[in-house]
Amino acid sequence: MSTVYKPADYKSELKPVWCPGCGDYGVLNSLHRAMAELQIEPWKACVVSGIGCSSRLPGYVTTYGFNSLHGRALPIASGMKLARPELDVIVVGGDGDGIAIGGNHLLHSARRNLDLTYIMMDNEIYGLTKGQAAPTTPTGDKTKSTIYGNPEPSVDPCELAISCGATWVARAFSGDVKTVVDLMVKAVRHKGFSFLNIISPCVTFRGDDQFTKLRAKVRAVPEDYDKSDRGAALRFTRETDVLTSGVLYEVTDVRSFGDKLQDIAHEVQNGKPMPGMSDILKTFQPGL
Amino acid sequence: MSTKDLTIAVVGSGGDGVVTLGEMIAQAGASVGLHVIKTEAYGPQIRGGESSCTVRLSADPIASQSDKVDVLVTFNWGDFARFRSEIVPKADAVIFHEANDKEESKLEATPGMRQVPVPFVNLAKEATGGAAAKNIVTLGILCELFGLPIDPVRSAVEKKFRKKATALEMNLKGFTAGIEYGKSIAAEIPNKRLEYTPGTPKLLMSGNEAAAVAAVHAGCRFFAGYPITPSSEVLHFLGEWLPKLGGSVLQTEDELAAIGAVVGGSFAGVKSLTATSGPGLSLMSEMIGLAAMAEIPTVIINVQRGGPSTGIPTKSEQSDLWHAVYGSHGDTPRVVIAATDAEDCFHATVDAFNIAEEFQIPVIMLSDQLIGQRRETLSAENLVHDVTERTLPSEEELENYKRYKITPNGVSPMSIPGMVRGMYQTNGLEHDETGAPNAGYITHEVMNEKRYRKMWAIRDKYHMCTRFGPEKADLGVICWGSSKGAVKEAVEKANAAGLRVAAFVPQMIYPFPKRELEAFMESVGQLLIVELNYTAQFYRYLRTFMDFHDKRVSVHKRSGGKLLSVTEVQEAISRVLNPEVVATEVLV
Repeated sequence: MSTVYKPADYKSELKPVWCPGCGDYGVLNSLHRAMAELQIEPWKACVVSGIGCSSRLPGYVTTYGFNSLHGRALPIASGMKLARPELDVIVVGGDGDGIAIGGNHLLHSARRNLDLTYIMMDNEIYGLTKGQAAPTTPTGDKTKSTIYGNPEPSVDPCELAISCGATWVARAFSGDVKTVVDLMVKAVRHKGFSFLNIISPCVTFRGDDQFTKLRAKVRAVPEDYDKSDRGAALRFTRETDVLTSGVLYEVTDVRSFGDKLQDIAHEVQNGKPMPGMSDILKTFQPGL
Repeated sequence: MSTKDLTIAVVGSGGDGVVTLGEMIAQAGASVGLHVIKTEAYGPQIRGGESSCTVRLSADPIASQSDKVDVLVTFNWGDFARFRSEIVPKADAVIFHEANDKEESKLEATPGMRQVPVPFVNLAKEATGGAAAKNIVTLGILCELFGLPIDPVRSAVEKKFRKKATALEMNLKGFTAGIEYGKSIAAEIPNKRLEYTPGTPKLLMSGNEAAAVAAVHAGCRFFAGYPITPSSEVLHFLGEWLPKLGGSVLQTEDELAAIGAVVGGSFAGVKSLTATSGPGLSLMSEMIGLAAMAEIPTVIINVQRGGPSTGIPTKSEQSDLWHAVYGSHGDTPRVVIAATDAEDCFHATVDAFNIAEEFQIPVIMLSDQLIGQRRETLSAENLVHDVTERTLPSEEELENYKRYKITPNGVSPMSIPGMVRGMYQTNGLEHDETGAPNAGYITHEVMNEKRYRKMWAIRDKYHMCTRFGPEKADLGVICWGSSKGAVKEAVEKANAAGLRVAAFVPQMIYPFPKRELEAFMESVGQLLIVELNYTAQFYRYLRTFMDFHDKRVSVHKRSGGKLLSVTEVQEAISRVLNPEVVATEVLV
């Protein structure tokens, strides 16, 4: 018989450095529960992050973990998954990490459709550096770096992920643990690049009332549309008055990057014995 | 008079088939066991435009391309003019130029030089009905006049065109026509026939190909890279072979992602590689720091080109030394190895993997455009090199597992995902022995000390360097990387002329084989340092840890963009041995 994992089995001994009331606690707890629901074997899982408040998360999960460089979680996770396709690789991090400094990697990881789960904890601000505007900060908001109001238009991470070619895109609110767990489970099960944007309020730099203000906007995504219709899904992005939660976009008929590489390997190997050094060196003999 | 050492250059435009012609000459040489070095040069055009190919063939081992050519074929004087500074005919060279070229000769006539007009286009048209085969006609002429082996070349032509019956027929006719034409003019051509005893065929490889083959040999099964001149051949080769070998290749969106994926792949337990050139190495700097901090085996091949910035992408320079040794913020241990020729690219790359895997450290293998892209002959039996596998933690080490355990040589047990009791969380933050972030001063000092302790262990085990010349010498030349080729031949010539000159070439750059250099210095009088960069990076690097005492030290250095020639090294040697000349002061 096999071991049954409980959420507590995924909890590490390290105590989070996050502020009291931070939305990231909800994400962490949900991840512990989702991993238990999936019965992920901890030693076959890698949780990878970049830099930021939320990127501290791998230290709080009992798996293999990598708190890497600002913006570079996706490339590192891609290397892990390609080197060891059997591993469950979960990428976590913030909106600045994933959309500003690491934006290029989101574009290419999404279109490549490698089988990774990317959980973005979106607090609309740079928290670790104490309160500068992020690409997700609403226009006009005053922050430490935009003291006269943010002059830049903001990005909707879900809109971006859908446009870039992610094959599974969802949004949730970190306080809504049941939905977050459900979406994390679906994201990991999706074969291909899944992107889960979790609105995770920063009470320190976005205001004490963030949690209640955002929670009031949450509504469930309507189920009466074709989730594989990109145009339909995009109607639930760039919202101002509401915050639509649930799977916005999902396509299941696109083969993942890993599967495509397997197809290629199968084709070129074609049941032949694996070439050795002498076969390789033959190609450098003159007259070929 | 026949020769044992012949250099042929071919110049033309896109469509002239210059590259194919050069390749077939090189293959002809390799097929009979001659020593061959082939270099190419192009204009800035992506496709078409002027191109040139220079092939040196020798009965004896060679280390460098030739400074000057014995035979020049130019299909077009206009194209030749663009390579004027790079392709210099010897005073007694034979020049074949298109008889119907409307332009005047671009070469000053000298008493020994023969300029021979050849109607290449007409010969091809007469033999084959079109001009396309003129390069094969030329091949026939060259084979006939200079003693290249006719039968192997004919079979190479057959193989190249075997899939198109009409093209095959045309080219074979062209080849025969060339041989006949060669016979018809043989009497008026000075005898420069290659004199050699046919031997076992050799392999023909570029340094980039040798490095890629080495990666396969070392057990690398994941490659991530971003295309950049002059390193892309590594991506191309592994893109073809790794899928056949159960590995995978990722062409990333940039070099940041390339080295990131390599760090990820290696963390996951698979030997991983990236290859790049200067601008890419700059982008990789931050991740090299992470690989050093998280102690993840990481191998980077950096094929140097002219810099800084975009610089001269297609030409060689040795100017990334400081960046390789020092580039990164913080105290970042890393290893730097420099390959000296194509065959050495193989050995240096396997060593890079061995060191990275054993010591859990980033290793930069420095090559450059010259040795990375030139093709040269080498023997398959020389392409063997012991491979070190990564050691996984023992059962004992997994009890109360500490990923960054302090050990005598600084190397800690490294688990990989899938090991039940080996789970750890790593990071670029300073951390304690378990990997948990720790901002304490004591921990930082202790962990820096632990990470740098590996450098001593590496220095004790790896001190690859070469010494040649007499055991005691008046002058000791020190150089690194591809400069070895020109220095080796210059030293041999100096020795043949009775000068007592020796040379020292470290392949291991950091940590440096200091004891070996000290021993070399004791065996020579004065020193001459030779390198191809403006700021004398190697000389200044040596100064950071070597005391030259009262030794006279001169430096021969200049920017890249033009290959280091044997002649200029010989001149530098003569200059410093002249008692009236003061040692060169490096002023930049």
